[in-house]
Amino acid sequence: MKEIKIFHDATKDVSAFADKIKAKQKKIVGTLCSYAPEELIYAAGFHPMRLFSSKSDIILAEQHLQTYCCSLVRGVLEDSLSGRLDFLDGTVFPHTCDSIQRLSDIWRMKGRYEFFADVVLPVKLNTQSAKIYMVDVLTKFKKDLEIAAGREITDTDLRESIKKFNLIRKNLSKIYALQSQKPGIIKGADLYTIVKGSMVMDRDEVADLLPAIAANIEKMDTPEQNGKRIVVSGSICDSPDIYTAIEAAGGVIVGDDLCTGQRWFEGQILEDEEPLTAIATRYMDRIICPAKHSSATARGENMISLAKKNKADGVVFMLLKFCDPHAFDYPYLKEFLEKENIKTLLIEMDDQQQNLGQLSTRFETFIHYI
Amino acid sequence: MIYAGIDIGSSTAKAALIKKNRLLGTHVIPTGYNPLNAGITVFEAVLEKVGVSKIDITAIVSTGYGRASVNFADTAMTEIICHGTGAHFMNPDIRGIIDVGGQDSKAILLDKNGQVENFAMNDKCAAGTGRFIEVMANALEVELDQMGDFSLKADKPSKISSICTVFAESEVISMIAGLQKRENIIAGIHESAAARVAILAFKINIKEPVMMTGGVAKNKGMITALEKRLGFELIVGDFAQENGAIGAAVLASRL
Amino acid sequence: MPDKLSDKRKIKCAKKMRDIMTTYYLDAMTAEQNNKQVAWITSGGPVEPLVAMDIIPVYPENHGAMIGASKMGEDLCTKAEDMGYSSDLCSYARTDISCSVVKGGPIGGLPKPDMLICCNNICGTVLKWYEVQARFYKVPLFILDTPICHTRYSPEIAKYVRAQIDEYIVFLEKITKRNFDYEKMAQVGKLAYKSQMLWQKVLNTTARNPSPMSAFDAFFFLALIVTLRGTQIAVDFYKDLLEEMEQRIKDGISMVPNEKYRLLWDNLPIWYRLKWLSNKFSDHNACLVADTYTSAWCSAIKYTDENNFLDSIAEAYTRIYLNIGVDQMADQVLEMIKFYDINGLVMHSNRSCKPYSFGQMDIMKIVREKTNIPVLMIEADMVDPRNFSQSQVETRIDAFMEIIKQRNS
Repeated sequence: MKEIKIFHDATKDVSAFADKIKAKQKKIVGTLCSYAPEELIYAAGFHPMRLFSSKSDIILAEQHLQTYCCSLVRGVLEDSLSGRLDFLDGTVFPHTCDSIQRLSDIWRMKGRYEFFADVVLPVKLNTQSAKIYMVDVLTKFKKDLEIAAGREITDTDLRESIKKFNLIRKNLSKIYALQSQKPGIIKGADLYTIVKGSMVMDRDEVADLLPAIAANIEKMDTPEQNGKRIVVSGSICDSPDIYTAIEAAGGVIVGDDLCTGQRWFEGQILEDEEPLTAIATRYMDRIICPAKHSSATARGENMISLAKKNKADGVVFMLLKFCDPHAFDYPYLKEFLEKENIKTLLIEMDDQQQNLGQLSTRFETFIHYI
Repeated sequence: MIYAGIDIGSSTAKAALIKKNRLLGTHVIPTGYNPLNAGITVFEAVLEKVGVSKIDITAIVSTGYGRASVNFADTAMTEIICHGTGAHFMNPDIRGIIDVGGQDSKAILLDKNGQVENFAMNDKCAAGTGRFIEVMANALEVELDQMGDFSLKADKPSKISSICTVFAESEVISMIAGLQKRENIIAGIHESAAARVAILAFKINIKEPVMMTGGVAKNKGMITALEKRLGFELIVGDFAQENGAIGAAVLASRL
Repeated sequence: MPDKLSDKRKIKCAKKMRDIMTTYYLDAMTAEQNNKQVAWITSGGPVEPLVAMDIIPVYPENHGAMIGASKMGEDLCTKAEDMGYSSDLCSYARTDISCSVVKGGPIGGLPKPDMLICCNNICGTVLKWYEVQARFYKVPLFILDTPICHTRYSPEIAKYVRAQIDEYIVFLEKITKRNFDYEKMAQVGKLAYKSQMLWQKVLNTTARNPSPMSAFDAFFFLALIVTLRGTQIAVDFYKDLLEEMEQRIKDGISMVPNEKYRLLWDNLPIWYRLKWLSNKFSDHNACLVADTYTSAWCSAIKYTDENNFLDSIAEAYTRIYLNIGVDQMADQVLEMIKFYDINGLVMHSNRSCKPYSFGQMDIMKIVREKTNIPVLMIEADMVDPRNFSQSQVETRIDAFMEIIKQRNS
């Protein structure tokens, strides 16, 4: 599909793609978290770009972060310090986790880019005062963006931006739903690329391409295959090879609980509410990240409903080594799922190294016995 | 007046004797499992080699991980100070030292007077140490002293991304299974170890000229990989391995 | 090796402190029989409202430190790993989680909580840890969310945290089915303020040369300011301790016999190696006179208003040492270096504590640039001894001390 190829090209070389955006006189604002309010960045006329590690050797970041910091945080810092992110005009840090909290400090102290903002969102997402605080923080962020952009962000700007991102989210949800209904209709590596592309590419282009992709695959017949239905859970899973390996082992990915997946795009923003409140409402109601809190069992209940809704045969936890929030949740999520007779597999990953040979063996064994 | 330095490392024990500002001689033996015995043996061997006896020795300083075991030494000092002193003794221009030993690797920054200004050592894991290279040599069934020659014949060094010795070993084994050329794997091992060591040098903002000391200095593959990483040439003296013992002997003369 | 701490050097208040802690734990263990409720609370959490409501506060982190100091950490950490918790997670959390199940450790586990109070001013780990315990004990969890102040304490943060202090009180009223006693709160607030001021004064005595006590003693005497803050017991105790320190200064009694070098410690203690480390430094005539850890319980006291306690604790609890930017932390380290006349900084890179450890290298660089004192980083863990290599740490400390001696000769 030629639309998917555009996504592949864009994600293959993000910095080349960034140059194209810069050629359009657009400033690029990097983010590291699915709670970064992209709608506001876009409404300010900036290009929001999710940052991933280029997985290069860690040399310069070694002088700032110890080896027991996760490979995403170290990798992105390495990219920044070695100049690979020089296309950035600014960065936004929603608080996220302990490691990103300190990354933000180091990043700010280095001061490599023109614009910098800490958007410290609440960790609690289940109280009225937290919501008021969230709206306050978003309001402050909007002001900071206005100063950086040298212009006002009007309600109309925001509403249009929200519409754009809602359209992107709606179509990504649709593509995922189609994949779940007709498993194998889209290759895992393509699915991964589409989501990743939607986080880095020009959102106008994404909003044009996604409906076409969704319409195309809707017309396709269910492919003949009897792969085991797999749901993937974790923070980021930044490797198409892992998706391919799961398929090669006889699985088919029918849904995910990833920061670079459904957690990021599920849930629409109400278009008829006051925009900042509407953005906050979505964050409060959205599928929760383990670094946030809504109830002690929110993620477990969500995992079960996700697995059941997608008739999952098994759940693969792809956890980034040294990612504390996910590592704390894993034992209970596994327990919750197993009570429902859903088998689980734990893979501990490191961005810098992926021993695909060993991974394939584990996927094959898991898929064989579920 | 003759002074002795004894360096008990994790794999080899070294001894050196100095008189005034002259190095009289050195000796190296494997440490084995008893550091005190190694200390006695290497000390006696160097005495015999130089042709002096115990009573001629004015003072002894021990160093290395087994420094506390050498009960006949007057005092114990760390390898960091000893390597600094040794390098300054051999070449007063030296401002930086990279020492890759059996279980520790370190980068040392000296001031103009040869005093240690700063140092950095590997963290708990063994990546970037002599031990790392030794484990990999075993996995590849290559003699340790052959590793350097092998790696100089590489055309396309393999990429070893794991920094953990255990994981790196399994990576190497899968490379062997993948029929990658042994020369390339070995060069990859050196590059991986060199990357870890170079980080230590960067951490202390090392200044040239830099001397490479420790047993691994004999490994040409490692030197080449390190120079590539660091972007400058390393000075390797004839007594790189014994440098710590020499420094200990110099320090003994200052007691 | 004979015990170097001659009777003269022993701090007399230590026994009193042990007795107080024993009574405190006995009270907590027998809370149910005495119809008292127990709240588990994070070390950086506002305990004063609990004291005002006559709820017994229990500190899993203090318990973790006890487990570490009694060298029971490895076993309990391993048990948590068997339960599926990664060995990379905080060792306080790991030991506490497994202890709840196996009832192990030096006191056979903590008394069952009636409620959990989690304040995330120290880390995000406590949030996940308390969620685990909320599921295990099936008790209500209150989270006091104190957004990190990277560069400043913003009006948004002030409003949010202040609102939560009221929610906290409503939460306590609901669980105890009693009305909150604001008058008692005012008294407790005054006592808390007093004890924190006294604790700061105790810590300040080590600015004297030679120092009457060391950071190793501070690690020990810290327990009361954490667990009994807001009580008369803590105020009385720290008064006595302060008196004893002042007397020691008068009598010229130092903790390290021939104190020549004064060091600053950063991060949590290595609980299972306190004695070894203390002797190690003492052998080099070095005294760890201060640390960034024990002073964290009074570092934000400037924001506390003893006459308007409830309003002011929002700020005081939000702006503690760990909940600020790395550059501000570096400023505090620099101040301590000056105040305590420090010759070297020892940083514990603690695998268990990411918000404390990440950023240390930047602080190290700032300290080197601005003070020219040597800085040592040792990699370890506060409770899990598997992350500690004695011979490696020994070489680093010896080399560090050699450099300090060279510079001061």
